[in-house]
Amino acid sequence: MLNKISDTRNSFATDVANVKSAKELEDLRIKYLGRNGIAAELFEEFKTVTPEEKRVLGKELNLLRQELQSKYDELKEGIELSSKAAAPKIDLSLPGRAPASGTAHLIPQTMTEIMSIFKKIGFSVVTGPEVESDWNNFGALNFPNDHPARDMQDTFFVNKDFLLRTHTSPVQVRIMENQKPPVRAIMPGRVYRNEAINSRSYCMFHQVEGLYVDNNVTFAELKGTLVHFAKEFYGSSVKYKFRPSFFPFTEPSAEMDITCFICGGSGCRVCKHSGWLEILGCGMVDPNVFKSVGYDPEEVTGYAFGMGIERIAMLKHDINDIRLLFENDVRFLKQF
Amino acid sequence: MKIVLSWLNEYIDLSDIPVEKIAQELTMAGLEVEGITDYRQVYDKFITAEVVEKEKHPNADKLSLCKVNTGTEVLQIVCGAPNVAAGQKVALACEGARIPDSDFVIKSTKLRGQLSQGMICSEAELGISNDHSGILVLPEETLPGKPLAEVIGYDDVVFEIGITPNRPDALSHVGVARDLSALLNRPLKKKEIASVRNSEKIGDMVAIEIEDQENCPRYSAVVVKDVTIGDSPEWMKSRLKMAGMRPINNIVDITNYIMLELGQPLHAFDLDNLSGSKIIVKRSENGSKFTTLDSVERELKDSVLMICDGEKEVAIAGIMGGENSEVNANTKNILIESAYFNPTSVRRSARYLGLSTEASYRFERGTNYEGTMNAALRAADLMAQFAGGKILSGELDVVSDKLTTKTVDLRYARIGKILGYRVPEDSVISILRNLEFRVVGSDQEKVTVEIPGFRPDVEREIDLIEEIARINGYDNIPPVERVTSPLESSVDQMETLNSLRAKMIGFGFNEIMNNSLQPLETAQETGDPIVLMNPLNAEMSVLRTSLIPGGLDTVRHNINNGEKDLRLFETGHVINKVGESLNSFENISEESALAVIITGRASEKTWSSAERHFDIFDLKGYLNSLLETYINTKKLSYIYNEEKAGIYEYSVDIFAGDEKLGRYGKISDSFAAKYDIKQVVFCAELFVNCIQRNSDKLRKYTPLLKYPKIVRDMALIFDSSVRYGDISGFIRKNSSSLLKNVDLFDKYENEKVLGEGKVSLAFTLEFFDKERTLTEEEVEKEFSGLINKVTKQFNAVLRGN
Repeated sequence: MLNKISDTRNSFATDVANVKSAKELEDLRIKYLGRNGIAAELFEEFKTVTPEEKRVLGKELNLLRQELQSKYDELKEGIELSSKAAAPKIDLSLPGRAPASGTAHLIPQTMTEIMSIFKKIGFSVVTGPEVESDWNNFGALNFPNDHPARDMQDTFFVNKDFLLRTHTSPVQVRIMENQKPPVRAIMPGRVYRNEAINSRSYCMFHQVEGLYVDNNVTFAELKGTLVHFAKEFYGSSVKYKFRPSFFPFTEPSAEMDITCFICGGSGCRVCKHSGWLEILGCGMVDPNVFKSVGYDPEEVTGYAFGMGIERIAMLKHDINDIRLLFENDVRFLKQF
Repeated sequence: MKIVLSWLNEYIDLSDIPVEKIAQELTMAGLEVEGITDYRQVYDKFITAEVVEKEKHPNADKLSLCKVNTGTEVLQIVCGAPNVAAGQKVALACEGARIPDSDFVIKSTKLRGQLSQGMICSEAELGISNDHSGILVLPEETLPGKPLAEVIGYDDVVFEIGITPNRPDALSHVGVARDLSALLNRPLKKKEIASVRNSEKIGDMVAIEIEDQENCPRYSAVVVKDVTIGDSPEWMKSRLKMAGMRPINNIVDITNYIMLELGQPLHAFDLDNLSGSKIIVKRSENGSKFTTLDSVERELKDSVLMICDGEKEVAIAGIMGGENSEVNANTKNILIESAYFNPTSVRRSARYLGLSTEASYRFERGTNYEGTMNAALRAADLMAQFAGGKILSGELDVVSDKLTTKTVDLRYARIGKILGYRVPEDSVISILRNLEFRVVGSDQEKVTVEIPGFRPDVEREIDLIEEIARINGYDNIPPVERVTSPLESSVDQMETLNSLRAKMIGFGFNEIMNNSLQPLETAQETGDPIVLMNPLNAEMSVLRTSLIPGGLDTVRHNINNGEKDLRLFETGHVINKVGESLNSFENISEESALAVIITGRASEKTWSSAERHFDIFDLKGYLNSLLETYINTKKLSYIYNEEKAGIYEYSVDIFAGDEKLGRYGKISDSFAAKYDIKQVVFCAELFVNCIQRNSDKLRKYTPLLKYPKIVRDMALIFDSSVRYGDISGFIRKNSSSLLKNVDLFDKYENEKVLGEGKVSLAFTLEFFDKERTLTEEEVEKEFSGLINKVTKQFNAVLRGN
């Protein structure tokens, strides 16, 4: 019987070498490990041998069966793997299932970007109402009742005391009236001007205003802060200049120009061939403003600045008609 | 303000400074040069020429064929002007010349078959006036072949300067020269008045009475007799034209010339038309009529300051003269008015009359009350020179004692405190002197100056600091960067809003932004709008009371453009009136709102899925996910409006505690129809501050569950009228603390299987305990107890048993 065991081992090894498919493997299993297979036959024969032989043969038979089984398992695993690999391939070029992708409107997008720059350098974010008092919008900001400066402000009035704010500066007044210095805040919001709607102007637009009041705030620091902003927002290589200007609520006042980011300063249609773009107005808070909110101008100094968001967004994204911003055509919105 | 370089040069020597440098200096000192016109370049390739021959064009009735001598050659030019004639000296645009303010470049071409080698120009084509009736004919003595700019007095450069409202002094050549004098630290030249006076005394001819000294604190007058009305000299005419004014006659031109030179508006009266040898300055009477020299009859009111003679009104003070005393071709004797009118008074009158003139523009901003007499004399001087007049001796100059000179102290230390850098004391004094501030005292700490009359904008120390800063140059202020950390009071009032926006964008929505001005009827449908006194038009006459109408406008716009599947949101203020009248902020409710709008398909048909249209549960799902981020869901409650309410066919009100957080629903068909929208639209409007107020503060960690959950499902048949929300609420309320979650996983209606008016709802119930593993028995007991309670409460039948 030992011979038979040895023969079986040899013939199994030969047969295994010929197994190429699942079918051949199954045949192999039936031949050796099946109910009537060679192993079963040997065990049947085993029943007939003497007890002395059984001790030796039992061990050998069990060993044989284990060998056959483990070799079979090994082959089976291999064949299953290779059959999987051979299955029809997935067509990865089919379209994916895309969730809708949202978009931020350019105006809040630009405002948020500006605010985040100032938040990082310690500015609060404060908002105010769009329907304002004449006092907060003009009076407290050093606009005398009949001053020509109001030529620059064509205002929507609700009645003689209330109006639609023409700038975000009344938020400065609100903050200072309610809080002792120091004050450092950025104030975004919607403002209104009584202007006919066309490609260049709209009856409403958005501004971001900034204010810093403390014991030792200077024009030099105003410059430093705005230069920091310009470098963050327009790129660190940006060149700038500050030009004297006039606003009733700041003295001295300035406008900040940066090198035109369309042409890089060489002159183009957008910068009217000057190489410069005006991006904001600023200045030192006028002592009269401090007086109207109950601050002592001998004690505190401060700076303020403001910029128009539509202009910045339109310049940056090369939009030539402001109406596109409020028409909300999704074909436009999805571009940004 | 247009400033002519040669004119400027009469007040300050700029001959060695390039034009661009002058422009840059001015801009950097706050007189922003917005444009430079160099007429020598504009008229490059424009020359003088003589028409030597003129014939009719053989192929065109209205054209002439001219032979034109350019001094070096004879060209053939086709000309359409009716006045062209042989012997004329003309302005010729040669080949390559560009017509001003156009892109038209002259080239040799055939016109109706005849060669034309240039263009003979009209004043309009040259851009020096609007006259296009015929060609410009130059003086007889003009030699051909000369550069045109020289011949017509345009050998010059014009700066277009944007003058801010605080700088009336710079609305004149001398004012701009003064800034340059300080910027370049070189002297300002003065003009002497040369003419000899006549022995006749002005005081014997006219008297001046000022009834309203408040509004006319100074009135100076000079009389010039025996003038001859005619044309002004060419140089004066071209300067006026370059500065943007139309020449009229020598007398009117001189008044305008002095205004542009000194900033003092003047008026020339025909003295012989002034009755009673009197000038009276007083307010008008309500309702009286007056015809200004532009031949327009205007109705006056009692706040309008007038210049009158002994009998009648002759001019609106500071704005425009009257037809009745206008200088005309026969005028002999002139009274020059040079006054200082109260800016506010002129401004109000100009506004009331809807009439703005070069004079009123300057008076409104504040003229030089110290310079009235000088300006009158300077005009008289020119009239003597260019109109042959005789200046009477003596002066009429009525000055109110209300005109006082201001004196201001400037502390050196304060300059540093505001600007953040030190300006040496001697530079400070030198700048002030160059700007003609009169230094009346100085010590180690400060300098005291008297403010000249032409600087009404300077009243305080801070105004002088600005003068120092702008003349010394903003470029010289060092930018100082300081590390800044948030103040104790630091807040971000946009935090919730921006986080909501980010969420919505993450959900795949497009952010929109609509006009907040709407028609009254629209805003009334969603609230009680605040109405504007002076709207642009009826379409934009009130503030929006809701973001939904604007959102529906957007929906319509996009559907019309073929975009029918929309996920939109907008944030903005919605504003309502509180109470009847608007007297204080209490009467205004201004809320930050978030609108969410979905319409069309939630998903398109694809190769692997069917299309699906949005329904109300999509919106509900978005809102639930959104609100869960901020608010503990236990705080939220809902009221279901299955009936039409407002603009909604059905809707849900959301509450956070007792506060109304918002509403969402399906827009009613009738409301959608107002926007021509035929597809179903679902909208929500939420109040951002309510979300913020009810937001969880800092969320604390909840330990993760260590023990298994046990899940049981049950399906029951209910009457269709029973609401899911009532059942799930009942289950929650009537279960022990072991039940943690109830959810609906199936809803099934089939008359044949369930019977009429029945619905099968299948629930998943989730049980667990944080502290231990539950036993099957206790869950089974709880579960079957719940089934019993639900079947009893809702008269339901358990399915599948």
